[in-house]
Formats: sequence, C-alpha cells, structure tokens
Amino acid sequence: MKHNIKPSIVTLLLVVLAPTVGAQEVTTDGMAFFESKIRPVLVSECYGCHSSQAGNIRGGLRLDTKEMTLQGGSSGPAVVPGDPDSSLLLSAIQHEDFVMPPKRRLPDDVVEDFRKWIGIGAPDPRETAIAEIKSSIREDDIRKAREEFWAYQLPVHRNPPTVKDQAWPDTVIDHFILARLEASNLAPAADALPHQLIRRISFDLLGLPPSPDQIESFSLAWKQSPREAIDRTIEQMLELPQFGERWGRYWLDVARYAESTGREVNMTFPHAWRYRDYVIESFNQDKPYDQFVQEQIAGDLLPAETDEQWAQKLVATTFLAIGPKNVNEQSRLQFEADLIDEQIDATTRVFLGTSVACARCHDHKFDPIPQTDYYALASIFSNATTYFGNPPSEYGSFPSAQVRRTSSLLRLPINDPNPFDRQLDPEEQTRIRNELEQKMRELADGRRQAAASGNGAQAAIRNRIRLTNEMAQLSARLAVVDEQGEPLSYCMGVQERSTPPRNARLLVRGEIDEPAQEVERGFPQVLCRSDESMDPAVSGRLELARWIGSDRNPLTARVMVNRIWQQLLGQGLVASTDNFGVSGQPPSHPELLDHLSLQFVNSNWSVKSVIREIMQSRVYRMSTEFDETSHQVDPDNALLWRANPRRLDAEAVRDAMLTISGEIDLQRPRASEVAKAGYQRVVGGSLGDPRELARRAMESAGEAMRESMRERIQSGRDGSRSDLPGRAGAQGSTVQRPAARGLNDANVLTRREGGIAPRFGGPLRPPFGPGMLRGDASGTSMDQAIREAIRKASSQLDMEDAKFRSVYLPIVRDNEPRVLDVFDLADSSVVTGTRESSNTANQALFMLNNPFVIQQSGAFAERIAKTEAKVGDQIELAFLLAFSRPPTSRERSEAASFMNRFDSQGRGSNPSVEGLVVFCQGLFASAEFRYLD
Amino acid sequence: MYSRRLLLRSASAGFGYLAFAGISTAASAREGTTAQDATISDSSDNPLAPKEPHFSARAKRVIFLCMQGGPSHVDTFDYKPQLTKDHGKRGKYGGSLLRSPWEFQQRGESGLWISDLFPEVSKHADDLCLIRSMQCDQPVHPGAMTQMHTGTAQFIRPSLGAWTLYGLGTENESLPGFVSLSPPAGTARNYGSSFLPAIFGGTKVGRGGPTARFTRGGGDESVPDIKNPHLTKEQQRRQIDFIQALNRGKLKAQSNQPGVEGVIESYELAFRMQDAMPDLMDISNESEQTLALYGADAGVTENFGKQCLLARRFIEQGVRFVEVTHGNWDQHANLSADHQARADACDKPIAGLIQDLKQRDLLKDTLVIWGGEFGRTPAAQGGDGRNHNNRGYTTWMAGGGVKGGFSYGATDEHGYEAVEDKCHIHDWHATILHLLGLDHERLTYRYAGRDFRLTDVHGNVITDIVA
Repeated sequence: MKHNIKPSIVTLLLVVLAPTVGAQEVTTDGMAFFESKIRPVLVSECYGCHSSQAGNIRGGLRLDTKEMTLQGGSSGPAVVPGDPDSSLLLSAIQHEDFVMPPKRRLPDDVVEDFRKWIGIGAPDPRETAIAEIKSSIREDDIRKAREEFWAYQLPVHRNPPTVKDQAWPDTVIDHFILARLEASNLAPAADALPHQLIRRISFDLLGLPPSPDQIESFSLAWKQSPREAIDRTIEQMLELPQFGERWGRYWLDVARYAESTGREVNMTFPHAWRYRDYVIESFNQDKPYDQFVQEQIAGDLLPAETDEQWAQKLVATTFLAIGPKNVNEQSRLQFEADLIDEQIDATTRVFLGTSVACARCHDHKFDPIPQTDYYALASIFSNATTYFGNPPSEYGSFPSAQVRRTSSLLRLPINDPNPFDRQLDPEEQTRIRNELEQKMRELADGRRQAAASGNGAQAAIRNRIRLTNEMAQLSARLAVVDEQGEPLSYCMGVQERSTPPRNARLLVRGEIDEPAQEVERGFPQVLCRSDESMDPAVSGRLELARWIGSDRNPLTARVMVNRIWQQLLGQGLVASTDNFGVSGQPPSHPELLDHLSLQFVNSNWSVKSVIREIMQSRVYRMSTEFDETSHQVDPDNALLWRANPRRLDAEAVRDAMLTISGEIDLQRPRASEVAKAGYQRVVGGSLGDPRELARRAMESAGEAMRESMRERIQSGRDGSRSDLPGRAGAQGSTVQRPAARGLNDANVLTRREGGIAPRFGGPLRPPFGPGMLRGDASGTSMDQAIREAIRKASSQLDMEDAKFRSVYLPIVRDNEPRVLDVFDLADSSVVTGTRESSNTANQALFMLNNPFVIQQSGAFAERIAKTEAKVGDQIELAFLLAFSRPPTSRERSEAASFMNRFDSQGRGSNPSVEGLVVFCQGLFASAEFRYLD
Repeated sequence: MYSRRLLLRSASAGFGYLAFAGISTAASAREGTTAQDATISDSSDNPLAPKEPHFSARAKRVIFLCMQGGPSHVDTFDYKPQLTKDHGKRGKYGGSLLRSPWEFQQRGESGLWISDLFPEVSKHADDLCLIRSMQCDQPVHPGAMTQMHTGTAQFIRPSLGAWTLYGLGTENESLPGFVSLSPPAGTARNYGSSFLPAIFGGTKVGRGGPTARFTRGGGDESVPDIKNPHLTKEQQRRQIDFIQALNRGKLKAQSNQPGVEGVIESYELAFRMQDAMPDLMDISNESEQTLALYGADAGVTENFGKQCLLARRFIEQGVRFVEVTHGNWDQHANLSADHQARADACDKPIAGLIQDLKQRDLLKDTLVIWGGEFGRTPAAQGGDGRNHNNRGYTTWMAGGGVKGGFSYGATDEHGYEAVEDKCHIHDWHATILHLLGLDHERLTYRYAGRDFRLTDVHGNVITDIVA
C-alpha cells in the first residue's frame, strides 16, 4: 500500500503558501492612485517601523518595496493583490488582527483607499529590478574540478599492492598500509597484548570494558589462534544490543542530536528520543547504509509496507528537524531561511563531507560550489514543512512573546504512547476547556480595554503575556490526547507541502530582503554525473535522498567508511571527517579509501561488514608502542606505524565506571527525561521551575533526615546497629563482608532507587562521611542534606543517580549532563565528526570530588570486598576490572601500602573500607583507565 | 611542602615541569626514593605557559564588564543636546524622539559629557576612553552578544577571551587563565574555545540563572566539584600521589604520551585550584573599606560589587581574562525607572573597581572594557522605552594603555547611527588585541585547512585611542 493514501495520518500544515500573483495589468491610473493615495500614507505612517530605515524592523515586515510588501512579515503576506479581505495590511489598519498604526486609527477614507488599491491589484511602482547573480565559478571550473580533484571522482577498484614482508599482512587492508610503511622504510608495530586487544575490541564495539571472564577466555583463545580469537569476539559483540548504543551515539554526534532548540529561548524537543532509538536500532539491524541515508532525508516520501515501517521512516526525518533554532526570531522569513540553511548544512556535511552552506552568501571560497548550487538545494528543502514544536489543540497554538516561531508535530501512524504520558478523563478535559475559554475571554476583554484606552499599559501587557502563556500550557495538554483523553504518539520530522513544487530565490549576500533570480531545484553540480536530471513536477527531495544514498555520487560511501575507520583507528584516512573539499585534508591512503568504499557498497552498504573487515586486519591489532625513528619520519602517525593511543570518550568513561562497579542497568529506559517533562522552556538548567524542584528536593531531604534520626534513636535504644542492609557505614560500625562469591553476583546487587542510596557511597550517606573521618558519629547534618538537595535540584539534567547507559541521558542544548560535558561530549549544536579529546583540570576535579564518581567508587569497592577477602586478591581483581590486566608487583605493593597507610590515618571505626574506596576511585581517576592502548 | 610559587617565579618552565618536579619531590620525600626515572616533559609543550606578545604593549590582562541587554548610549555616555531640543519631533526613522530623562554634565579635567546615571564612574572620567561610534551587524540580543564575543553570530567561533589566552598564555598555574563570572545561562558559546584547544576556553565560575540565589555566599559551591565532601586535604593529597604513581608508571612504560602528561598536569592544577579557588572566592578577608568601595557590603550594589571585587582578585592572581556580566539593560519600556535601577546596581562597583585597580597600581596594565551588545534608539518606544540600536552606540575602555579622558568617534545629532570614525565590532576586537600586544592578523589558528582569526577578514586597529 502506498503511504500517501493512509487515512490515519494527521498532518497539520500551518503555513499556507502565498497565492501566486498573476500578471498584473498595471495601468498608469493605478500607479497614479498609488502615488497620490497610498505611498504618502505608507511613508508617514508605516516606514518608521516597517522599512529598511527602521532600526528594528517590527514583525519582520517591510513595506518599502513591492517585493517585501507582498512577501510580508512574521504573520504572512501583507498584501494579496486583488483580495483585500486576505490582506493583513488592510486588516491591520482596520484594527482587526493587528492594531496599526498603534496609536490611532486611520481615517475611514484612507482605509477605503487601501481597500480600493488592493482591489485593483495593488499596483506598485516600487519594484526593484530582480538582480541576476552570476557566479564567478564557471562551468569550466566545475568540470575541471570534477575531473581533477580526487574527492569528486568515483572510487575505482585497485589491486592491493605487493609488499616485501609477506608474513605480516592478514587482509587486503594490511597490504595497503604496509606498502606505504615500507616505502618510507618503516615497519608496523608488533601485535598488542591480548588483554589490551580485548579491552580495545570491547570498548570499540560496545563502549564497555570486558569482564574478567572475557579477558581470560580471550587470552586463552589468543594462544591457539589470534585471528580466530578476534573473529569470534567480534562476531559475538556485533550481535549484542550494546553495539547499536555505541555506534548509534557516533551517528548522533554527526547528526547534531539534541532534545531542545538551544539558543536564548531553549524549548524542549520531547519527541527527539524516537530518532535516537531509531538510530540505535538501525545500527543493531545493520540497516543498509544507503537506505539509512535515504530515510533521514526523505523517509516521509519513501514507500512503506506496514504502519510500523512508515512510522520508522517518519521518525528518520527527525534528522532534518532537530537542528538548533532561534524560536525567538522576529522574522518568519529569516527563521525559514535559517531553518533551510541548517538542513542544507547538516545534509551535505553529514552525508557528503561537503560544506555547501558556505555558498549561502556568496560562491564557495574554496570548493567549486557556486551560490546557485546552494539555492538549488534551498529550492528542494523549501518545499518541505518542518515539525519540531508542539501540536495545536482545537483552539490553535499560542505563540508567546518568547516563542515566536513554532510548529506542530507529526502524528505517528502507530499507537506508541509513553507509559508516563497522561490520560485526561472527560471531566478534566472539560475543566481545561472551560479554563482555556475563560482565559481567552479575559484576553479579548483586555485587548478591547487597551484599544479603548489608546495604548496598552505595562500591567495590561504583562497580563496579556501571562494569559497567553497559561493558555499555551492548557492548550498543549489538550493537544496531545485524543477525544477520549488517550495520549497520542508524535514524532518530529518533515512533510512535503501539498502545493506544486516551488523554487527558491537566490538571496544576495544571503539577505532575506534582497532576493534575486529563482533557482531551479538541483544537486551540487560538481558531485553530479552529467545525467542527473530533475522532474519538474516533484520537489526533488526524494530524488536528492536517492542520489545521496547511492553510489551515483563519489562521496557518500567514502565519507562513511572514513568515519568508521576513524572510530576504530583514532584518525580518519581523511583527517577532516566532515570536509572532503579542497580546504579539507587529502586522504593518507587514497587507494585504501577507495577499496573500503567499494567493499562497503558491494556488501549492500553493511556497516558491520566494514567494521569487521577493519578489525580483522593486523593494522587494527598493532600495539601503541612508541618508536623514536618512526616518529621522526612520521610524527602524526599518518602512515600508521603504530596504533594511536585513544582517550575514552565521555559515554565510555561513565559506562565503564558503572560496569566496573556492577551497577550498570543495560535495559534501555523508555523515552527520555525530556519526554517526561514535555514541551517547555529550559530555564536555569532545569526542566520545570527550578525553585519548585528545589522545594521538593528539600522536602525529601528533610524526610530522609527524619528517618535517619528515628533510626539512630532506635539503634541507640536497643544498643545494636540497624538491621537495614548496608546502613552500617553511616552508623559507624563495621561493614559485614559477605563471603566471597562469583564475580557475576555483583550484577545482582540491589538497585538503588531515588536520591538516597542506602549502601556504599550514597550522596547523603557516604560510607566514610565527614562524621567518620572526624570521629563524629552524628553523620551528615541537616544543613548539608539541604545543600545537597538543592545542588541536586539545580543539576537535575546531570542525572547523577541514573544507572542506564549514557546514550540515554538527556541531551538538552547548553545543559548537557556534567559527566559527559566534562569529557568533551560533542557540541550538540554542530555537526561533529571528530570529538575533542582533552585532559583538563575540570576533569580532574570531577574524578576527585564528584558525587557520582564517589558513589561509583563505593559500589566498586563493595563489589571487590564482596568477592575477595584478602587485600592482595582485592587489588588483583580491581586492576583486572579497571584496566583489564593484573597489577605489576610494584603496583600491587604500592596499592597495598597506600591503602594501609590511608587506613591508619583514618580515625573512623571502619578504616579498611575507606582505603578500598579511595583506592578504587584512584583507579577510575588514573590515566590508564581513560586511555585505550 | 614544595614551593611551586618560588619555582614559578624563578624558572620559565611551564606546568609540565612543575607538575613533575612537585610530584617527584613530594613523592620521593614520602617514599624515600628518587624519581629520576620520570620523564620531564618539555615546558614549551604547555599551551598555557606565558607567551611573549607580538610586540610590546601596556595591557597585560583584561576585565570585561559585559552589559547584557543593550544599555542606552544616549542616556549614559553619548551626550545629544539636539535630542533634547527635538524632543517629541519625528525621528529620522519614524517614531518620536525622546530626550534623555537624565542630565548630562561635563566631568573631570577632560570635560567628558556623562549622564547622571553614572555619577561614581564619572569621577573617573579622566581615565575613560569612550568609543562613541560603535556598530555591529546584529539587531537582536543573542546574535549581537555572540558577535561581540566571537566576531560572528553565524558560526560558532572562539571567544575573545579564548583568543587572548591562546595568544598570551596565563601567569598563574593554579587558576584557569580565562574566567567568566556567573555568565547568563545558555551562553556557553560566548566564552567557549570552539575549535581552539579546550584549554583556552573560559571556565565558568559561579552560576547564572534562577538557582544562583541558592548558592550565593557558598564560595566552595561556585566551581563544580571543587571540594571533596569526605576527604581531608592530606588524605586527598595521598590519593592523588597514588593516582600519579599509577600515571607515572604508565608514562614510564613508554615515551611520548602527551595525553598521559596532560592527565598528570590536570591533577596538579586541580589540586591547587581546590586551594586557590575557595580562597580566591572567599572575600571575607577583604577590609571593610574595600567592600564599601565596591558597594559589596550591602544594598543593590552588593551582588555586582562582589563580582567586580572577584574580578580584581582573579587578575591580581595572574588570570589573563576575566569577564563579569551585568544583565537586564533591555528597556523597551520603563526606561526611566529600570535603567536607573540597573545603573544604581553597577555604578559604584565599577567605580570601585577602577579606583581599586588604580590604588594597587594595576590599572596601568589592566584593560577594563565596558559595553553592551548594542545601544538603544533615540526615538521612543511606547513613551518611556527605547528599541535596539546596533548602528550606533557607545562602549568604553580604561587603563591598559588607552588614552584617558578621551572620546573617539561620534553618532549623528540624535544618536541614531555612527557617522564619524566608525568602530565596527571587528575594529573593536582588533584594537583590544592590539592593546594586548597581539596583531589580529597574525593571531591565527589553523582549523579545517584554513587559518582562522578573531576578526575574520576585517578589522582595523583604532590607533587614535592608544596612549
């Protein structure tokens, strides 16, 4: 069944195209009428706020050229020639939708003049000749670049080069790398040690450290056959759901995934998580990459066999909707131009490694991309409507003073509400409707009064803002349920406008008020074979998707295999992963890049195949062993004479701590914290009113304190410690050390719920809290508990207590969780193919002092203490968990003496636990923990 | 303990060396072993080590007083008698002209005209260098703020402070080199490093936003994770020694590991920051006179007064670039009351800062910059308000080698737009770098195959204001 005849979808097209203006017979009389009756009024009454001379163009509306008058401002076209009743200008001067001029009403005869003028077709001599911008990049330049520049030629098959050292290579990749090394008289590093390799493979595929069992079995298998050991491990891990969580996150980096608009007025995207899950699933299913690409650009236009498939394809187009947005933008045209610009920028850089957006204002400075190529793409995207806001209710939507630009959402063709989505029973619906209608009446009354009194007083304005915001909230609640009050399912994305396709106008210097010629829909010429043509009856977005998601262009496959290579080897064959243009870096091994690209396409665009092929090579297996001679020849290791030491990225650091402590919850949480909070503005790093959150947190802290007091009184009374498990630490008595158990048992440790951890390292009840260290049995003070509660409330989005994988933490622009932010999470506002990898004092402070790290160290210590009784064995196990290797004898003795000396210093009554916890934290904090060798 | 400060003063070595020297001596003292085996990293590798400017210059450091929201130039530092005369008449671009509700007077020996909104700052008129012909490209707040900080609103680019740090390094290894005090929420890109290495980015100290009031006064809360909730300092030092022993072991296993060296340095800086930051943030040891000088003791000036005082304390300790934000200048309505309130809250603190810098002999080589993202229109909005105006507005500088009691450039008779000696935001950036001894055309960073600079392809140094 074709999707476009499905009856169940509700697409809400908010923007109606301006009717096309037919050829106007402009008579001399009409012009004279304009000059005598219309122009003087425009100049004296309107230009002050609505002309190029106004310091701040109100409502994005300019009335000083014909062009801009027809185009209109934020609210739509000001004048529709021949149709006075559809012309906002007339309605405004009649004080209907707007009150213009703001202070007085124009005399009736003037209003009539305007009606007449529009009625006769709004003759207007203020026409600016449409400029025809000629590109300085000639067709010849483009043809030449297509023929000569490496990236614009299709990949070609190359035979692997012969090498001198026949014994070393295992795969074709090895031949390509070794040949270059030999040509420079360099030799590849030896294989890494098995424990290093299993750690490398596990982090690379899953983003998690290997378990001690895995390390042992891998090392044993390695002795039999390194190749087989690796193959088997790869095959196992590729099938785990954690694979998609790891590789999906890389994709989310380039897709600038986030759950809010960012910028000054930061509105949430409560449905963005569907795209996150779509990406993870796509990698887990090994969805052919060409299909993955096509779905993200035009999933809404692709055929779908089932509603589920259709839903997935709609969700895929979220890619085009999640870019950062300035919803506070006054000008509708500016907002739309910026939106399309962002879509062009993301699409071309993410999939093609080409920065077409550079040509928005002028021809590309470096690449042969004329400005017209940019507007050819703008023409395609201008036929789509982007959905990123919240659906309107039956009462419409309520743009506020802050959120001037909003949109609806796409209804999913399947029913997939979140468990936390609220139902509205009929009474509640009625109550909301009544309240909303009441407020609408109040608003109307206020307007009338303001109009009567001439000008709105401050209080009236404030009142209006308050009412609009309240109405928006009420309306939003109604909007997301059906008539029975059942929650509806939505996603972000794009839909094609239902009008015949249109072309965009080229904008001189990218200025919205300087449109030049129309530009036909099309693709960047330099990337096209000559036979790419566009059907004039279609918008071209589906064609664009099919062209980008194919081997008909020279870049899509190359760009993706290069991204994969970078993740596994630490640097891309093309180091500038998002820029394959002239200003980017040339490939270090062009033949290898071509080989991988062709293999990729031949494998039906299987990402897993490329990963497999790279990981099976000896190149991947090399150690990071430094070699001075090689370094002299090739300081950047571009030729790959060794493996690059790599710092774990933010997610891996957090997930590794959780895995090692045994606390990780590998279940995917439903939706996201942002989805729970719903559509709202993010203020002060919180979802919801931070004061309210703080108040609630303080209440719960108070509750916890009271409970603790009761316990303490109780335990004082019967002279024994509380029987609550794990609370012993805070009581100042020794922790019972359970008998040694298998490592796997650590995985069934009681999960901690809520903010107060009853066991080791809970933020309110540390096992070695200040009370213990200072010999003060009273533990934490109320004051401290309150401060802690407030701190937590104001760091709600950090989600310190969450135990699920990092990819599921909320990504609110400019408010990313600290644990990720501090370790160089990708900036979610820009396409990021390569993350930073810094080592900062902020990270050090985080590792030393952050409550999450301390809590995790406590859990780590608990796990160790539960499993092993002897200090030597504890140290052994801790190293194995944290570094995937046993300690050296020196390290073992250093660790033992550290714990020993640390404990003898402690004056608390539970010294051995303190030493172990601080030691475990030390392992987390060390360089080895965060580096992959 | 080991005296890093002495070492720092006597040697040109950077942190890498110091970190190692420090750890080695400390560790060997305790363990009774020598740490000769540790590789000593080359000091020139430290990107934050103090660097020579391109040419000698007076300004060594910057305090940027960022007036978010757009303070009105025609009500503060740009005297327009014609505006008063033409009050109520139609402005050149419509609307009716609004005379300033505040009187202007000539101040100091120089006779600069400054309004009564800034009576205290006016007392330092002879130190001020007014630039009355500012222009930027953005008429809306976020865009203009970002352009003021990074030169462009279109792309994400390094902040002025990050460029400064990249150019000059910093002088105190215990503190970050670029500090933004309580920046407004959601403005990270305005003090970010963008494509410059992260180490040049601004460190946010203190919180902006609605939760700020909860943490006021708690100095140790102002930098995230600045204090361990459980361990004593000695215990933590012992823990760090253990971490560093592990790190040294790793470093020894193989040469040339800049990443591991970076980790080692980061722990030493963090450890020192834990000491330095709370002390620095704790203003209780300042005298009553000093607190009063800044208005940091009480009243409407207390909050911003403390920020200004902190700014002085930071630069005194060798921090290269400190930004302090004072917001809510966006008076589309209620100009006469609200502009007054904003000025009341910052006039004394700013004057106090200038005075304090002067009496500590710091003003001569500290560049103080005051300015908003744009100014406001001479025409009225709703009777008692003004709209945004990016075509002409005023910023000022003091100290750091600028001419005092000087006025540069001019707007038209009403203050609509700069007409004489225009100073575009790119020129402003070029000039600030110049005052720091940096050539804005030579201060470049190679990124994505291109040399980037703060001023892109623009910017002219305004040499007229250089003393």
